[in-house]
Amino acid sequence: MKKILNKPENYVNEMLEGLYIAHPDLITYTNNDVRCLVTANKKEGKVGIATGGGSGHLPLFLGYVGKGMLDGCSVGDVFQSPSAEQMHAVTKYIDSGAGVLYIYGNYNGDIFNFDMAAEMADFEDGIRVESVVGADDVASAGPTDLGQKSTRRGVAGIVFVYKCAGAAADAMLSLDEVKRVAEKAAHNVRTMGVALTPCIVPRVGKPGFSLGEDEMEIGMGIHGETGIRRGKLESADQITVEMLDQIVSDLPFTTGDEVAVLVNGLGATPVDEQYIVVRKINEQLGKLGISVHRFYVGEYATSLEMAGLSISVMKLDAELKTYLDAPAQTPFFVQL
Amino acid sequence: MIVQDFLASASALMTENRDRLIDMDSVVGDGDLGLTMSDGFKAAYESIKESDEQDVGKLFYTAGKAMSVAVPSTMGTLMASGLMQVGKTFKGRTEVQTTEYAALFQAYFDGVSARGKAKVGEKTFLDGLFPAISAMQEAIEAGMSAAQVAQAASDAAQKGFEATQGMIAVHGRAATRGEASRQLLDPGAAVAALLMKAFAQSVS
Repeated sequence: MKKILNKPENYVNEMLEGLYIAHPDLITYTNNDVRCLVTANKKEGKVGIATGGGSGHLPLFLGYVGKGMLDGCSVGDVFQSPSAEQMHAVTKYIDSGAGVLYIYGNYNGDIFNFDMAAEMADFEDGIRVESVVGADDVASAGPTDLGQKSTRRGVAGIVFVYKCAGAAADAMLSLDEVKRVAEKAAHNVRTMGVALTPCIVPRVGKPGFSLGEDEMEIGMGIHGETGIRRGKLESADQITVEMLDQIVSDLPFTTGDEVAVLVNGLGATPVDEQYIVVRKINEQLGKLGISVHRFYVGEYATSLEMAGLSISVMKLDAELKTYLDAPAQTPFFVQL
Repeated sequence: MIVQDFLASASALMTENRDRLIDMDSVVGDGDLGLTMSDGFKAAYESIKESDEQDVGKLFYTAGKAMSVAVPSTMGTLMASGLMQVGKTFKGRTEVQTTEYAALFQAYFDGVSARGKAKVGEKTFLDGLFPAISAMQEAIEAGMSAAQVAQAASDAAQKGFEATQGMIAVHGRAATRGEASRQLLDPGAAVAALLMKAFAQSVS
């Protein structure tokens, strides 16, 4: 293991201490617990939006707390859910009477704890909480029928859900309306990833799996979950076409659609390579008659030092476009 | 029953069986079950051991919450949910009669199944707890003593755990093995058997 750290067991808290020092104008914490991160600019009467999850994915999850996006985030150990109590503390802080919406990824540990936190908030404080789960990874499971619970994992596409729901809340919509916008965004986003190298959890000290020098794994999850296929590394264009085909046929996206695209580095892939992928995405979508309203390129949801990237595509309508385009300012996301 | 005695027994039994649970869980899961159960029940017990609270419901709720803080893993949160549901159901009560033992563990069952969305027969913790509740109900109807009711539950839970060999796993990582999961014993059901054994110890 080759990492810049002090003691592995202090990894998460020292990272958080650094964040509070660098961004005092945007974030702070509640409950005397650095892992209960909340906005420094609470807006009265607004629906509060909370997320949470394990560390090791920055900017996900906490990096989107700020103006025009999220209001709070409970922070777990690397790849571990935070506790329901931490989520509950964040909920209490960010509620200002209009209720709270939870938006988080589709993982059992997170689901159980967020459900429990919602019950605590209701039982102990009478705060109304609603939840929307991100389940955008087309590689992780087949599609589910409407009304059925998705078995897909939540990955980078959740950033689009944060952005649209955050803007809707900022426009002072009601909890039901913000939830509706979040669900619409979640239903219209699809993601697919590719991994070139594994990642190392600091307290474990060695990779959880290995990938050959000339190998890639299409569809691998952001904790190293098994993907769709492992094979010899191919060219940027070939990889892009394979991933995009799966995304486009899944929703499906069709001629005349307008979309937003997020190209996301997993932690060790140069942004240069991500732009090489952007070029091919634009060409492929153009051929299909799908126009791109906006590209986001960079690191949005990483997996420690994993090399690889993911592509997320969200189908837009007038409403989602308005909320996507609205300004926001967080430690990791600035849009004028 | 005395809540403190029950959780003291549970904490001791989970610690005693820590390595056995780790070994069982390493076959199918990520191997941390022994740690989360011993740490979790210890935290649950310690949160109320000095308490002079008389409300049985509040004691269970406090213990469940302490457990959820200590071990926010999947199984830790499920056990915490069981304790907290008992807390909600028995809120305001200062005593639990022998005739209510089945209802108490039914509340625990409901808390776990509501959180985990699992049903009996899916090779989980519930397959250990469910037969224990049925056995309790029968023993209560037969007019047995507190110790006899609890012992009947403990025996039934152990049998229920053994019967998970042969079931197909539907939840967690074991589910990815499909048919091959049949031959395995479920570590969650082992926790249920230990929990009922702890209950029997605490009321005897």
